[in-house]
Formats: sequence, C-alpha cells, structure tokens
Amino acid sequence: MIIISDVVKSYGNAGNKNQVLRGISLRIADGDFVVILGASGSGKSTLLNVISGLEPPDKGSVVYGTSDITKLSDEKLTQFRKDNIGFIFQQYYLLPNMTVEKNVRMGADLIGNREYRKMINAVGLADKAGKYPSELSGGEQQRVSVARALAKKPKALFLDEPIGALDEQTGRQVLDYICGLHKEAGFTMVMVTHNQNIAEMANTVVKMNSGKVSEVYTNKTRKNAYEIGW
Amino acid sequence: MVVGMKDAAKLVSISMIAGCAVFVCTLFLNYNMDIASMKDEVTTEVGMAMYQAQVLTGKVTALVSGGCLAVTSVIMLLFYVKNYIDTHGRELGILKALGYSGLKIAKHFWVFGLSVFAGCVLGYTLAFLYMPSFYKLQNTDHLFPEIEARFHPLLAFLLIGAPAMAFSVLAIIYACLRLKCPVLDLLKEKYVYKIKVSKRATKDIPFLKNLAGSTVRERKTLAFFTAFSAFCFSAMTQMSMSMKDLSSETMAVMMITIGLLLAFITLFLSLSSVVKGNTKTIAMMRIFGYKYSDCFKAVLGGYRPFSYMGFVIGTVYQYTLLKIAVEVVFADVDNIPEYHFDLKMCAVTVVLFVLTYEMVMYGYAQRIKRLPIKSVMLE
Repeated sequence: MIIISDVVKSYGNAGNKNQVLRGISLRIADGDFVVILGASGSGKSTLLNVISGLEPPDKGSVVYGTSDITKLSDEKLTQFRKDNIGFIFQQYYLLPNMTVEKNVRMGADLIGNREYRKMINAVGLADKAGKYPSELSGGEQQRVSVARALAKKPKALFLDEPIGALDEQTGRQVLDYICGLHKEAGFTMVMVTHNQNIAEMANTVVKMNSGKVSEVYTNKTRKNAYEIGW
Repeated sequence: MVVGMKDAAKLVSISMIAGCAVFVCTLFLNYNMDIASMKDEVTTEVGMAMYQAQVLTGKVTALVSGGCLAVTSVIMLLFYVKNYIDTHGRELGILKALGYSGLKIAKHFWVFGLSVFAGCVLGYTLAFLYMPSFYKLQNTDHLFPEIEARFHPLLAFLLIGAPAMAFSVLAIIYACLRLKCPVLDLLKEKYVYKIKVSKRATKDIPFLKNLAGSTVRERKTLAFFTAFSAFCFSAMTQMSMSMKDLSSETMAVMMITIGLLLAFITLFLSLSSVVKGNTKTIAMMRIFGYKYSDCFKAVLGGYRPFSYMGFVIGTVYQYTLLKIAVEVVFADVDNIPEYHFDLKMCAVTVVLFVLTYEMVMYGYAQRIKRLPIKSVMLE
C-alpha cells in the first residue's frame, strides 16, 4: 500500500511561487492499476515524481508499507528506487550508444537478473536485441523502455505519458504489452495521462485539476487496449 | 546567426595552448634569428659549438613543443567544431531547411580562428616581455657579444597571422564537411551516435563495464586529451626538475608552468565534456537506482587507463629528449652535466600525479552528485 498524505509542492521563489500540488492525499493498493488523469499543468507529473521519490514534497508524506520515503536520505532513496521502482517516460530516454539488449541490462543488472532476454522476448523484440535505439521505431523504443523498467522486477511501475509520442496503432500495442505484463507480474502500476480513454483500462482513476484531486473512482468494467477509444 | 563571438570566447583552452606554443616558438626562433646575424662575430671554438648547439636546440624545441601544441590545438579545434554542431544540430538543421547551404553556415565558423589569434597575440607579447631575460640566460657564459631582441615582422606574421588564418579556414572546412548530411539527421541529432556494431556489442558484458567502454569509444578525442594531459604533467614536471641542473631555474619554472597549464586545461576540458555529454545517462542511472559511485565509474572510470598511459609515455619522452639533447646536441659543449634517469624524482612525480588526478576526479564525482535527476525529464 502506498499512502500519500497532504502532499504540497511548489516551484519558484517566494516572490513568484507556483503551488503545483495543493495538499494531495491518496491511497494506492498493492497491485492496483491507477491512472492519474488531468489536463496539462494540473500537477499530475509532479505528483508522479513525488510518489516515486524522484523529488521531495515541500510538505506531506509518501509511505510505502511502513517506510516514509520523504524522510529518507538521498543514498537510502536511491536504494529504495533500486529495490522497488520502475519508470517509463514519454521520451523513452534509452541510452543511444547501447543496443536493445544492453539497455535492458541497465535494469536487469541492478538486481542481478540473468533472465533479461525473457523480458526482451515478452515485448516482442527478440529479433532486434542487437539493434541500437536509432534503428528502431518509436513504438519499439518504448517497448525497450518497458522491458528495461520491468527487467529490474519493480514492485511499483510509474509511467509518465508512455504513449504520448506514439501513433494510435503503436500506442495500443504498447499499452497492451504493459497491461499484459502487469497482469502477469502483479506489480502496482501508476500511469499519468491526459487521455481520458486510457482511464477506461485502469482499475482506479484519479482526476486532477489545478494541483488538487477532484475525483477518485473505480471502474466497474475495465477495457483492454484495443477496446478503448482514441 | 548561430555561431558568434560568444562561442569563440568559449574556446579559451585553445587560446591558452596556442599562446603557450607561440610563447615558446617566439623565444627560441627570435633568438635564433638574432644570433644568426652575429654568427661571424663568434671567433672561439667553444663559442661556435655553443652557437650551433643553441641554434639546433631552438629549432628542435620550436618544432617539438610548437608542433606538439599545434597538433593539440588542431585536435581541440576540430573537437569544438564537432561538439558545437552536435549540440546545436536543431538550430543548424533549421537553417539548412530554410535554404542556407552547408558552406554558407560553415563560413561563420571563421570566428573560432579568433580564439587562436587572441592566444597567439598573448603568447607573442609575453615572449617579447620575457625576451631580455631569456637572451641573458642563453648567454650566461658570455661566449657571444651582447644580443638585443629585435622585432622580425615575418616571424610575427608566421606566429600570429598565419595560425589564426589557418585555424579559421580549418574550422570552416571541417564544419562544412560535418554539415554535409541530410537536414533531418541534423534536426533529429541522429549523426551524434553513429552505429558501429562492435564485437563487444554482442558479448555478454555487464552493463556498467559496457557503458564505461562505450563512453570512451564514443569520445575517443577525449581519451586522447586525457592521455595528453597526463603526458604534459609527467614530461614537463620531470623535465623542469632536470632543467634546474642542465639549464636554469627560470627555464624550469617556465617549463613547469606551461606543462601544468596544459595538463589542467586539457584534463578539465575532457572531463567536463564527458560529464556534460553524459548528463542524461547519469540522470537515468540515478532514476533507476544506481549509486553515485557506479555512475562515476561508468562515466569517468574508463578514462583512467589512458591517463596513466599518458604519464608513462611522458616519462619516456622527457628522458629520451633530454638524453638526446645532452649526449648529441650539446656533446661538443663543455661543462654540460651528465644526465641520468632520476628514479627518485620520477617516484615523487608519480605520487604528485596520482594525488592531483584523483583529487580532480573526486571533484568531478561531486559534480556528478549535484546533477539533478529531474533534469532529464525537463527536456
């Protein structure tokens, strides 16, 4: 369980302060698929960064089990991310001078996972393991970043607009891979998006507006990547 | 336009290296030209032997130091031009897309020659200011009549105007060649990573080891600079210590100053470029949970062997050069002390080098620690 309590985050200095998160409180159950939905500037990416321990909040707490990550030192927070967290970004951020296999090893080597090739196979890139990112399409690159994130077997996976840079067909394909792997491995998944249709795939939907949670609901029926609108 | 004076000002390292090269060359070549005019006045046999030894020393020093520094400056210039195009690919791509030809854009790279011009003027001026003392030093035994430093316009042109022009032309040609690629490649900054499928890429090497290797392979020029930096440190420090006995303390101070200046400039340049060029990689590694020490080892650790290799080459180089100078060039001159390899001095230099190098590396490790991991997401 991830318990987020009264999180406040601002940017800028005293004279020009922009409060991005205004007292957010949430509970995310283990293994849940949560979509954080909101328009641009609503604070959803900042919330994702705070929950995942990429940046500290000004106020409030983020508790994983019994551990409040906002109180951890930088070294312990790094260890925490290593042991628990996986990331997928809109821009993939693959290492351009490394092959698909080496990129996936970036995640796998952290936990000594020798079966990283299984992950490459799972995202359908077995035949492209020796290719460099610039030789791949956008969808393939995002699949590499999925494999890289999951190769370290995270307990929680955070996705920031993972299909924002992809076309419809590729986007559906990537979402399908991600959801399939989520079902199989059972990790907690938190995805930030502005696409309302994707919310229909999630179990829990958190709607954000101007730095606040405006609505939280659970989908009674969940759609798959090929059933949602675009 | 994209390239401006501000960008040329950033090439301060080239200015300093060019300055050092011109300083050394001006001193020795100007002296050679001045003593040549009074060759007939040298009547004694010892004086003649000294004259010939000094002329040869001047030529060798100018050729070796000037040549070595000039080659370094050229490599550095090419590195800067490449780096500029790599980091400004989008702007340059837009210009090309708008219809500017590669040559038209490349022409603006002439300003990079200004950095060489500034360095050359500085080196030449400093050499002229130091020349009276240098001339006295060269004639401490009064084997020649009093020599006055004279201004030689041709030498001034060859050491200031010609290099500046040559470097401007070189920058334009190289930029033109680098810009000879499809507009889309520039816009997407595709050319930055050329695909070279090495045998290592297919081997089962751990990620960190692989990253360290590929970081070096991606930036071979920086490996050269790292080695060159250690080479300067080793050669010039040890040579300057020997110079105290073989020549004078002033020469020793001059040599160690130039050596250390070059060593630190090139080391800072290469390490800064490595860290800057790997910001995203470091940020991603930190996001994934790699420790600072892992990031540091993967990004900078690969350059350490080159550094130590440069040190060894520098030691061999300085020993060979001084041995040749003493046993061949000054063979006919009296009162030249014998030269032997000084193991104690070498050991002291090794310790100094290791301490300095590791301290600089520690500084960069701290810099890596300060890199905000969020930076990767802000782009």
